[in-house]
Amino acid sequence: MPGFDITFVATYWQALLTGLGLTLRFTAICIVSGTVLGLLLALLSQSRSTALRALVRVYVEMIRGVPVLILLFWIFFCLPVVTGLEIGNFASSVLALTLFMGAATCESFRAALHAIPHDQHDACTALGLTTRSRLFDVIIPLTVMRAIPNLLSNTVALFKESSLASAVGTVELMYIGQNIANATARPIEVLTVVGVLYFLVGFTLTRLVSVAERRVLARLAP
Amino acid sequence: MQDLDFFFALASAPQLLEGLKVTLWLTLWSNVIGLACGFLLALVGVSPIRPLRWLYTCYIEIFRCTPILLQIVWFFFCVPILFNVYWSGEFLGLLILGLNLTAFNAEAYRASIQAIPPAHHDAAVALGLGWRVTAFNVVMPQAARNAMPVLVTNAIGAFQQSALVALVGVADLMYQGKLLSTQTYRPIEAYTSVAVIYLVISVAFGQIAGMIERRNALYR
Repeated sequence: MPGFDITFVATYWQALLTGLGLTLRFTAICIVSGTVLGLLLALLSQSRSTALRALVRVYVEMIRGVPVLILLFWIFFCLPVVTGLEIGNFASSVLALTLFMGAATCESFRAALHAIPHDQHDACTALGLTTRSRLFDVIIPLTVMRAIPNLLSNTVALFKESSLASAVGTVELMYIGQNIANATARPIEVLTVVGVLYFLVGFTLTRLVSVAERRVLARLAP
Repeated sequence: MQDLDFFFALASAPQLLEGLKVTLWLTLWSNVIGLACGFLLALVGVSPIRPLRWLYTCYIEIFRCTPILLQIVWFFFCVPILFNVYWSGEFLGLLILGLNLTAFNAEAYRASIQAIPPAHHDAAVALGLGWRVTAFNVVMPQAARNAMPVLVTNAIGAFQQSALVALVGVADLMYQGKLLSTQTYRPIEAYTSVAVIYLVISVAFGQIAGMIERRNALYR
């Protein structure tokens, strides 16, 4: 084993920080798009049409039933063949993780929707609220607030899954880390530093989850 | 777009089955490690000795706050160098998947041990039960039943995450699918077949687990 020297990784700090920035940006994009998709799906799953409900169910089961890696590979390798569109690795990874996040957040939102007490619906009717007002002023705010702890857990999961994007050549922290490790033939030091970077963000996020959990619980059951 | 030809996928079924065998083997043994070591780790986590609990927290947080892909790559690159061992890819993959699952299962066990109402401990004391009887006949059966749903979810998760070892060259189902796609230039058939295999097994697992859970619910 060659001498263990973690300090040399410091010479690559700019590349690693860029990677971390790219990972965070990538995660942020997928969080926004995935959460919007998830909310839409959750609302659709409440629709009166059996076909729509079944469609959402099938979508969620399918996405959750296959590894994210195969979803990503399918979109990266097969989608261009099927559609004739060359969307590139960044867009493919964003699409794959958005679909993944959509299915995960759909479940969180659905659980939150079901947890809304029935009196709220009754109150809406009693107040004569329009469908739009009922949806945007009552149902969605209540759902989102209840869903926050779960959504944050989904975010942590997404942040970790974002490293998979490196498998199709998307440049982010994992990709840059592996490249530096291969180029310098010092995997232990480089990968450990990459791990620490992931850990710092992941740990902060998980702490946020517990804080959010406590606060939401405090608000729901004062 | 070329013509789809799923007969081709059928013709290469032996190759995919070979991969599936490795995937299932990885899933089975990583679950054995995860269930056993996770339980032992959970006991460390609820121990009254504070440094032991710190160790537990460190282990859990390291595995929970970093991507599993990084854990796998780190393990594959660093363990052979650090410990000067040359294990097969399958064995390394199995170890790291097992260690990862250990962390997640330990949390499930710990949560379910702590969810047992304190009144049960009091009752055990009142009945004059020894610690061994309390542990094995009062705490554990309840804890195991409470932890079951999460353990099953984790098991299915481990099955799916085992696909990641394909990226470091273990010849599992995902790897065979990748190989097939590059050998034959038929990515759609190859990846779709692989996806369907993963999907069917995950859904079947989930359904069986749901059935067991419903039956368990009757005993409460």
